[in-house]
Amino acid sequence: MFKKDSILLYSFGGVVFIITAIVFWNYYTPEWKGYQNEFQDLVATKFGAEKIQQVPQGLQQIWVEDLNRVDRCTTCHQGMEWKGLDNVAHPFKSHPQEILKKHPLSQYGCTVCHGGQGFATDMESAHGFVEHWEEPLMGKQVSDLYLIKDRRAMMQINCNSCHRYDRETKGADYINQAKQLVAEKNCRACHTINDRGGTIGPDLTYVGDKSPEQYDYSRMLGVKTAFAWHVSHLQNPKALVPETVMPNFGFNSRDAQALGLLVMSWRRTTIPARYLSGVKFSEQQTAEEAEKEKRMLEGEGAFFVKKGCFVCHSVSTLGVESASKIGPDLSEAVTDVQSRFGKQLEDFLNNPTGTMAVVLSTQIILSPEEKREAVEKLKIAYQKKVEQQTQSAAAQNTRPQATPSPSPPKR
Amino acid sequence: MATKPTVWARLKNQRATWEKIKWTWVPETNREAGDSVVRNFLLHWFPAKVTRQSLSWNYSFWLGTISAVLFLILIVTGIPLMFLYVPSVERAYLSVKDIEFTVSFGWFLRGLHRVSAHLMVAVVFLHLVRVFLAGAYKNGTAAKQNRPLNWIIGITLLLLTLLLSFTGYLLPWDQLAYWAITVGTNIASAAPVVGEQLRFFLLGGSTIDQNTLIRFYVLHCFFLPLGVLLLFSYHMWRVRKDGGLACVDQLSLEQKKENAQPIKSKTYSLLGIASGRTVHVETSIVDEDKHTVASSPNLTRRLLLVSLGTLAVSVVLTVLFRAPLEAAANPTVTPNPAKAPWYFLWLQELVTLTTFTIGGITINGALIGGIFVPGILVVAAIVWPYLDKSPVSTVGVWMARARRRQNIVFLIIVAAILVLTIVGTYLRGPYWDFYWPWQSWPTMPRKF
Amino acid sequence: MRKKKSGPEEITASYPSPESPDESVKTGGVNLSRRKLISRVGLGATLLAIGGQAYAFVRSLVPNVLYEDPKRFKVGTLDQFSEGAKFIEDKRVFIFREKNTLHCVSATCTHLGCTVKMQRLNQPKRVNAGGREFDEQVEFACPCHGSKYYGDGTNYSGPAPRPLDHFKLEVAPEDGQLVVDTSEIVRQDFRLTV
Repeated sequence: MFKKDSILLYSFGGVVFIITAIVFWNYYTPEWKGYQNEFQDLVATKFGAEKIQQVPQGLQQIWVEDLNRVDRCTTCHQGMEWKGLDNVAHPFKSHPQEILKKHPLSQYGCTVCHGGQGFATDMESAHGFVEHWEEPLMGKQVSDLYLIKDRRAMMQINCNSCHRYDRETKGADYINQAKQLVAEKNCRACHTINDRGGTIGPDLTYVGDKSPEQYDYSRMLGVKTAFAWHVSHLQNPKALVPETVMPNFGFNSRDAQALGLLVMSWRRTTIPARYLSGVKFSEQQTAEEAEKEKRMLEGEGAFFVKKGCFVCHSVSTLGVESASKIGPDLSEAVTDVQSRFGKQLEDFLNNPTGTMAVVLSTQIILSPEEKREAVEKLKIAYQKKVEQQTQSAAAQNTRPQATPSPSPPKR
Repeated sequence: MATKPTVWARLKNQRATWEKIKWTWVPETNREAGDSVVRNFLLHWFPAKVTRQSLSWNYSFWLGTISAVLFLILIVTGIPLMFLYVPSVERAYLSVKDIEFTVSFGWFLRGLHRVSAHLMVAVVFLHLVRVFLAGAYKNGTAAKQNRPLNWIIGITLLLLTLLLSFTGYLLPWDQLAYWAITVGTNIASAAPVVGEQLRFFLLGGSTIDQNTLIRFYVLHCFFLPLGVLLLFSYHMWRVRKDGGLACVDQLSLEQKKENAQPIKSKTYSLLGIASGRTVHVETSIVDEDKHTVASSPNLTRRLLLVSLGTLAVSVVLTVLFRAPLEAAANPTVTPNPAKAPWYFLWLQELVTLTTFTIGGITINGALIGGIFVPGILVVAAIVWPYLDKSPVSTVGVWMARARRRQNIVFLIIVAAILVLTIVGTYLRGPYWDFYWPWQSWPTMPRKF
Repeated sequence: MRKKKSGPEEITASYPSPESPDESVKTGGVNLSRRKLISRVGLGATLLAIGGQAYAFVRSLVPNVLYEDPKRFKVGTLDQFSEGAKFIEDKRVFIFREKNTLHCVSATCTHLGCTVKMQRLNQPKRVNAGGREFDEQVEFACPCHGSKYYGDGTNYSGPAPRPLDHFKLEVAPEDGQLVVDTSEIVRQDFRLTV
């Protein structure tokens, strides 16, 4: 009864052994290892064998906590930040350096701009053309699908997630064109976008988030995607939605594509403020304050504004007014310094005491030429002060008065 | 030269130690075979001898063993997964993606866990079918048997298995998980009187959120497996107490008609004796030598075989069918179609078909198809052994003639469940429309 | 001891027979040794497979990627560091500047890892440490178990076993910021000149 048992036992054991071997084979030869070996060969040929030590091995990831993304692209795309790999084929080609300076890898990762599935460690999954992943790599494959020649066009959707509030973003030509069209054609006449606009058409502020299933594709030709729907709709609204009142603006295909990209970029994004383009992190000056500072910078006292003296000191005769007046008016510095510190102005600037010692050694560092310039200008300021006082004294003199004229100020 | 003898002596000693460990598993005499079950901790679970028929492939198909082995695989794969998975709504999906892509052998662990889970549901169900069709839920002639109780324990184990699968299903926190649990808990809420409160308690709130996830996680990793382990131990103990598999009772009934030689010794399998008489004590009835074999090594060898076979099938399926992961859970977008896990699809199909409007009153299909029908089935199953009037001669007999009617009814119910499952799995497409297998589903639109 | 009736074949039939040469002669030597080989190979393969699976399960718990802070980070532009010492709290390092040289001292106590506190001295103190004599402006003291360090990081009191680490400093070429590399430990006399 038990004769066949051993045969079965060993066959099952064999099957388990084979499968375990397959699993281990998969473990020792992942796809990325091949690419990493290739890259090392490339580095050895181009830059010499010693440079191989600088090439990291194993899974690489860039974890951008603020954006809640983790990107493992650099496991295969190892040449991103290397110089001298501009003309090599992918995946080793280096990234255009200029934009990388403004968007360093450690702070942005890759997928926030390029799309794709950052979690993945094999090419097909990483490039995102798999089921259940809605953020494919915005490169050639997607552009070809929509017959857009510029393979950097689709990516601009992601640029606009942060650059949404720019009027114009360098390098995002489709988006810039679309934003111009929005202003020209006045989409806001019927659509609300960012709290402004009409209510005849739907609110478009976050239309990029709308689920693709919500669109009606019955009258559409071609691929059934949300992006395609928007492009078709922009080119001929009535063909897609018969009961619409949206006029046909006669957009050519490039305009329609640009607007389609813009519209798909209008999404809810949780991005920390410091990533948003155009956001200032200081209180804004009022119009009067800005105007005043502009005048002071164009006037005679510009030097004291530029060097920062005006933060504490006014120089009234040169038109420089300090907001706080912590220190005395420098128009009188020539005599003031003498009476307070017992030194000439030049000596004081070279050997300051008290608060000025701290200020002139840490916050405001003046070169010898600048000190001379300061002294000269302060002398001019003082002269002006003297003239003013003489004039005001003279003005008082012209009025009939019983009291004798006051004597001129003593030096 | 004094070292040589001691080295040799030490070597011989190793041999002896190895013999000491090995002998209970590969006994060489009958005496050793009998002794091994009392001298080995692991082997003491078993009786010293088992009937040949109990060991046969085509009586039980070893389905019970297969489910136990699958459960063991689930525990062994589940433990590293517990370390790697994070049960927080913000990180659950990310942790599963990490398991798939960055953890060494992660895809294999997760895949094996999933394959074993699906197989276990199927095998436990098949085990139930086998037990019913062979009348193995019935008592035989020996004293103090209580197979109906064991049948009830088995039903409970089936329900626990389904619950384990259900709680595990939510954990990846992808669209499939989220909406499958939405459907499932909404069916639960259709229960009369306590439905809403039950749902609130299960979810830890009114929506499927962090509370739900952590509750399901703790249930899935601790309480439900603990329940299964405890009940399983009880289940096996009852099998021993009842004298073994039901086919053994057949043997004693048949033997009563045969002439068997009286045997001198009475006490073979000490551990098999209940208070009273079991098959093994009735030595004048059962011809042990003709019908039984030693547990060690025959039972143990077959157990090893079945374990290895189960493992083999599971790992092959794991490598062939990778575990899927859909898009991250999105409470605002329902996938089309939104389906429950396959073992509940028959319920979902029922729920679709049983919404009735009588007069002006509409009865929700969730109530009929989701609560009443499965409820009635479970109650009927539990109660049936006590209502069964078939003769004791049908215990442990496959498709006994005296039980033909109940077997047919049972098979019809099983077939209905299977058909509904197949319809729900393969023939229902977007919007739950009916699609023949050769009709293609419309492609779902995407963003780009 | 009972007489064996039909027992022995069932018990030993599927297992390799004993190894003594007599037995193999009795039961047909060649067939049995091939069988032994197959069974040994089968057993070995199965055990290897099980062992491989066990290794896989343990190996899965050794992480391949880490979600941790990078060891190399920027701490600010050079003009943000004036003469003296500055404590970068969230990175646990001190940056010292003397005229146009900078160096970096770790704030992690070498005893059990607490963050040491810097104590500015009222007057410079002359100490002899590491074979040099120098004037120190600050000292470090650890609040956990009372270790004390001179301004150059040398431990002189308490349970600390060795001096505080000094980390490598660099200037980032892209924006001129000061970069601390905590994975590179340098000597106490390392200075970055700017």
